[in-house]
Amino acid sequence: MLIRALTLLLLALASMPANAQKVSTLTIYTHPSFAAEWGPGPAVKEAFEQTCNCQINYVVLDSSGDILQRLRLEGKSSQADVVLGLDTGIMETTRQTGLLANHGTDLSRLNLPVKWQDKVFVPYDWGYFAFVYDTEQLPNPPESLEALIAAPDDLKIIIQDPRTSTPGLGLLLWMRHVYGDQAGEKWQQLKGKILTTTKSWSDGYFSLFMNGEAPMILSYSTSPAYHMAVDKTDRYQAAKFKEGHYLQVEVAALVESSKQKDLGRAFLDFMLSVDFQRHIPLKNVMYPATDLGDELPKVFDKLIQPTKALYFDPKAVTDKRRDWLNEWLDAMTR
Amino acid sequence: MSTPIRHSAAPFSQPGWRLWPGLAIASALIVLAMAGLGALVWETSLPDMSQLWRSRYLRTVVIFTAWQAFLSVALSLLVALPVARILARQPAFPGRAVLLRLMELSLVLPSIVAVSGLVSVYGRQGWFTGFANDWLGASWNLYGINGIVLAHVFFNAPLAARILLQGIEGAPASQRRVAAQLGLGRWWYWRAVEWPAIKPVLPGLAALVFTLCFTSFAIVMTLGGGPAATTIEVAIYQSLRFEFDAGQAALLAMVQLFICGFLWWLAARRGLTASLLPDRRVAAHRSKAGSSVWARICDGAALGLFVLFLLMPLIAIFLRGLPGMGAAFFPQGSFSGNPALLDATLRSLAIALPAGLMSVSAALLILASGSVGAKSALTRLTSVAAYLPLMVPPLVLGTGLFLLFRPSLGSSNQGLILVTLINAMMALPFVLQMLRGPMGSLDLGSRQQADQLGVLGWYRWRWLHWPRLRRPLALAMAYGTGLSLGDFGVIALFGSPGHPTLPVLLYQQLGSYRIDAAAATGLWLILILLALFSLFNRLGTPARKPGWTTNSPRTVTEPEHA
Repeated sequence: MLIRALTLLLLALASMPANAQKVSTLTIYTHPSFAAEWGPGPAVKEAFEQTCNCQINYVVLDSSGDILQRLRLEGKSSQADVVLGLDTGIMETTRQTGLLANHGTDLSRLNLPVKWQDKVFVPYDWGYFAFVYDTEQLPNPPESLEALIAAPDDLKIIIQDPRTSTPGLGLLLWMRHVYGDQAGEKWQQLKGKILTTTKSWSDGYFSLFMNGEAPMILSYSTSPAYHMAVDKTDRYQAAKFKEGHYLQVEVAALVESSKQKDLGRAFLDFMLSVDFQRHIPLKNVMYPATDLGDELPKVFDKLIQPTKALYFDPKAVTDKRRDWLNEWLDAMTR
Repeated sequence: MSTPIRHSAAPFSQPGWRLWPGLAIASALIVLAMAGLGALVWETSLPDMSQLWRSRYLRTVVIFTAWQAFLSVALSLLVALPVARILARQPAFPGRAVLLRLMELSLVLPSIVAVSGLVSVYGRQGWFTGFANDWLGASWNLYGINGIVLAHVFFNAPLAARILLQGIEGAPASQRRVAAQLGLGRWWYWRAVEWPAIKPVLPGLAALVFTLCFTSFAIVMTLGGGPAATTIEVAIYQSLRFEFDAGQAALLAMVQLFICGFLWWLAARRGLTASLLPDRRVAAHRSKAGSSVWARICDGAALGLFVLFLLMPLIAIFLRGLPGMGAAFFPQGSFSGNPALLDATLRSLAIALPAGLMSVSAALLILASGSVGAKSALTRLTSVAAYLPLMVPPLVLGTGLFLLFRPSLGSSNQGLILVTLINAMMALPFVLQMLRGPMGSLDLGSRQQADQLGVLGWYRWRWLHWPRLRRPLALAMAYGTGLSLGDFGVIALFGSPGHPTLPVLLYQQLGSYRIDAAAATGLWLILILLALFSLFNRLGTPARKPGWTTNSPRTVTEPEHA
């Protein structure tokens, strides 16, 4: 009985009709939060497919690191036309593979806290790293990185591991930017307040922070926008730090081996149009890369406005990240 | 001129049919692992071995990994042994079947869901922590080595207990009857019946749990408190994804392979001797140990603690998931045709059921090839190779798979089939562990008799093995399917084509701040898994028709069997 049922199921699975692929297909390597049903992916696909006689095919890889790794493994025979979801931390390493092409997109529409003139990477959104806190558990959060480091050890925070997580690496760079060579000492002082260091943002946010395990977690300054706009609660807010906040820019690029570079370039150009960008604020919960004017949801006005955007040149990050990581490991394991 | 009966050949009665399919599967696994490692070494030069003892960091990582795995194994077995013995002693009490299903569940839970439950109980704001601080005066802190070990015991002790229970229940009925007739007390019953029954299972089980804890990743990081708790798996991830140092990754992967592989080699060398006593059908019996009132109270109390340990995190997951459940099925206030959750459920089942079936078939073939001839190094290698999917770090395995299967990654249907195949492979070690004992339990006498009578090939399987294997097969099928259903790693490794499965949906919801929806998906996944385990348990229990009971020696002797 069971075996028969399973055989039927297998047969049904095997005989599912393959999608007819007559129009040209644009293959985009991306990561889960972009391609999810609630992410910007589906809406962007629909909008772009209306402008071209083509189909977008997302290949969803686990993280930006996996996108890079897949690209390397495939080399010049990559199926990808566009890679989307890399960020400033990994950008330079990806460029060094020599597998990417120039975009030729007009970057004058960009609205970023930093000047952007890169020939290969086109930004599609950006945000600041910040500590998000639970106002019910912590009515008066620290007002600066310094105050957080000096706070008594019973204030607990959750951070992510810089080896495995983008925000985790963001905090490493943030500390380094503010404290320079003293970053190691400062990490040692911060150590007592770190409840735990999770593998990914999701692990910490879901299992720990939303379970009330600690009043503060390393996240984005835009996180409260989702809670306010969709969950309809003001309970979770980002703490504004006097030293400024570290900036993250998410980028996409054209793959050199792509057989349809024109279509790929059209997509990168489309990325900076309103039809793409309007899905960023609430679906990716980041700032749009261009000025949306009135279309920017009102909750974004309620977010903290960092006085200073801290930012290392991607090349400096690539050169130094190993040293800075070892400095962190050393401080945290001593 | 009488022709020997053997020549009127039964289907698949050639000895080759027992040997080659299993060998083929094993070599495929070895090729896969080598391809992954080879690709890493190809990218850079061969790693410098001396790095291992020169770098303080790498040294601490290796030592910590082994230490936490050792502690986790010791504690898991320490919990599992008494639980299995009590469950074997008390074959009939209300809720026993439900308890067994729950025990089967814990291993297949996606780690992020389980950790959320564990944190609700043992975390800073947890129920248990409040109790410990207020009533026991102890200051309990989850984050650190205790949290890691606690989580590993939660995942593995129920699995271990389940396998041990199967072992004890597989003890020859005649032996147990004699023990019951002699009125053996607990100690002697343990010496005469229980220990001989679990002894052959124990080395493999310990190796399995050790490998699982050794390669643990997200749990160690979430509950470990900081980078002082870093496993080799984390360091490999770091080398590959962060430092792009393929050489170091390969070096670490080899260390992991060597340590875990060595343990499996030892476990395989200890051998799994078939039992010597024929398992004949005998009248129902009840051992003296466990029947007195006092014994029952003690057993009940010990089991109660275990149930609390197992149940509290599950209750926490249940309570957390409940609020989002409504929204999951009634997105806009009314039932809409095909909510994403149901879609994902069907997709998951379409992957998991065939994957379970494949892994069970592969396990049978591998066990069959192990039963041919003398225990040569070749057959030992076959059985160790089956555990490779657990020992090779997923990132390395992913690279190997990618290189080997790349041309077939075209359409999404092929992608789904590939994911099914890999899920089957990942479930293989567990399924093998479930089937190994029962498959080997056919005693020598019966086998020789079968050989003389020419009961070979298909007939031997149908009339000798199947009645004995029906229940273990159902359990193995449940684990194989359950593991694939709860799997996130394989799909993430490959890039999911098209639409999400249940665990992928959960992670997507998390990534988009949909905390309530994710909690509901987690709960739904648990309910599906429970339903699945119950279904397979039902299928594994022979219908009580006269034709069946004569074939099945166990139905009579064990009124409420697992």
